[in-house]
Amino acid sequence: MSNAADSPPVRIEAADCRTPFGDARATCAALRAGRRALALQPVLGAAGGDAVPLAPLPGRALDETAPPAWLPCLDGLVATLPEAPWGDARHPVFVTSSNFGVGSLYAFAHDHDPAHLEFCTPFALVEGLRRRFGWGGNVALLSHACVSAHLGLLLASRALRAGPAERALVFTFDFISPFVTGGFHALKILNPELPAPYAVRPTGSIGLGDGAAFAVLGKAGAGFSLSAQTLHNEMHHFTANRADGTGFAASLEPVADAARGRRLWLKGHGTGTLEAGRLEAEALARLFPGAPLVSWKGGLGHTLGSCGLVELAIALAAMRGGEAPGTVGSAPPCFVDAVATEPFATSAYDGVVLASNAFGGAHATCLLTHD
Amino acid sequence: MIERHIHCVQTEDPGLEEPAATRARLRHLFPPGAARRLTQLGFLMGSVLDPVKPAEEDGLVYASSYGESRALHEYLASFPMASPTLFQTSIHPSAVQQVLVARQQPVREFFPFGGHAQIVAHAAQAALWSPSPRSILCGGEERTLPPGNSRTASSIGFAFALALSAVAGGSVGSLRLLETADAGGELTLPDFFTALRDRRALDQTAAPGVRLVLAWR
Repeated sequence: MSNAADSPPVRIEAADCRTPFGDARATCAALRAGRRALALQPVLGAAGGDAVPLAPLPGRALDETAPPAWLPCLDGLVATLPEAPWGDARHPVFVTSSNFGVGSLYAFAHDHDPAHLEFCTPFALVEGLRRRFGWGGNVALLSHACVSAHLGLLLASRALRAGPAERALVFTFDFISPFVTGGFHALKILNPELPAPYAVRPTGSIGLGDGAAFAVLGKAGAGFSLSAQTLHNEMHHFTANRADGTGFAASLEPVADAARGRRLWLKGHGTGTLEAGRLEAEALARLFPGAPLVSWKGGLGHTLGSCGLVELAIALAAMRGGEAPGTVGSAPPCFVDAVATEPFATSAYDGVVLASNAFGGAHATCLLTHD
Repeated sequence: MIERHIHCVQTEDPGLEEPAATRARLRHLFPPGAARRLTQLGFLMGSVLDPVKPAEEDGLVYASSYGESRALHEYLASFPMASPTLFQTSIHPSAVQQVLVARQQPVREFFPFGGHAQIVAHAAQAALWSPSPRSILCGGEERTLPPGNSRTASSIGFAFALALSAVAGGSVGSLRLLETADAGGELTLPDFFTALRDRRALDQTAAPGVRLVLAWR
């Protein structure tokens, strides 16, 4: 296989998300206003611990209930899906998540309530969701940490190009729990500092938040397409990237080739860690000179496996609304001059590059363009 | 119909083997520093991927219903002082990442699947849709018996890897996916593994609309 992005374009029929701010339009508006959903909360929920920046859905506790308190959020998202016999042979569903129902496994380990067990494994949880939403059995599950949603988008695109699919649904979610907050806290990147993506500062930090989103890909679109998609997995270290930044470049270069001649803005991964943030910002600035770069994880926190599609839905809302949010929570000096810390008009641009990264040096990039 | 030819098939069938025995049996495949940190599933995936030798341009597809169940449960037991190492290790595709990080082997595309009844069909689709000249379809489970919640782990260990390409010459079999009007169908990982281990043919509906045909020469 050549080092080329997946193409030709695949049309986006519909997309939306849920964050603590609401749907994609509400989330975009809140970020444009510079609002943060993140607030300092005990890292282990009811068990206490350091106060760290978290953004669960409004009113949702970090400790999982049975059934999970986030199910109504997914019900609300599914209620906005375009009508189709989702899950049949011609309407495949790709469900992606980093954590699926692992918060229920944590809860079971602590309270031993067997009611949690039907949500603990990815396949048991998704089987329950499939029945709840009335979907057929053609529901694939993908889990690759924080690039999970991108994998769903790429496979859905291939299902449309090569398979029998007429329309494909990518459905993604990640809801934080002490399992994941405790893990990132143990790695010391979830600490009492609020995240400031791409900002030059002495200590890096991330926030974590709830997120869910969907995209319907099909032959009939609504004005936007995924024009190029790429993946790359460094496999250099579990939690660190190659110091020369070649992993970022390997994912971004094919998209830069595909985007040549376009006027672009950039939505980076930008969690708030220092080394990865610097490598990403430098690679983006080199390959897309002059393009403004934003991250929204300073406002929403990192929504983990769902972030790629949550942020794609927000980018679509920004393109439709004519103004993109800046990098909430950050202020100069930044790693590169291209970091936009204030909102900016999108009318001058005809596309946006969306990038996500994950454990294992995993990278995923896609190009969202006007039709 | 889409088809790829099987050029290499590897299986590991440790059954009820304990992790310490798996480690002793397979540690020679890894550098000493890396072997110390590998999970049982990491060792098993390393064993089946070693002869296949994944390369950067291969399309790599991995399937596991339970993933790193032992690391998950050990990580849970580490609270309230959560273990950062077990947190990293517990993520779903960690077994393959452990192997490739140890070998410093990048791959462009890596699709890790969860799921149960249709996991084989969906993973096979990803492998056969790959634009790479060669794709690798691998998967497995490690044996874990967590007290009180056996529904969250596999009771047996196994692993497999298939190297697939469009070239028929020199192949030992083929994997085909065909459209079918059948709206049901399932094929689990243990059943697929058993067919690979025994070089047994399969022809069945493996997911709605997906007929899977495994043939041997």
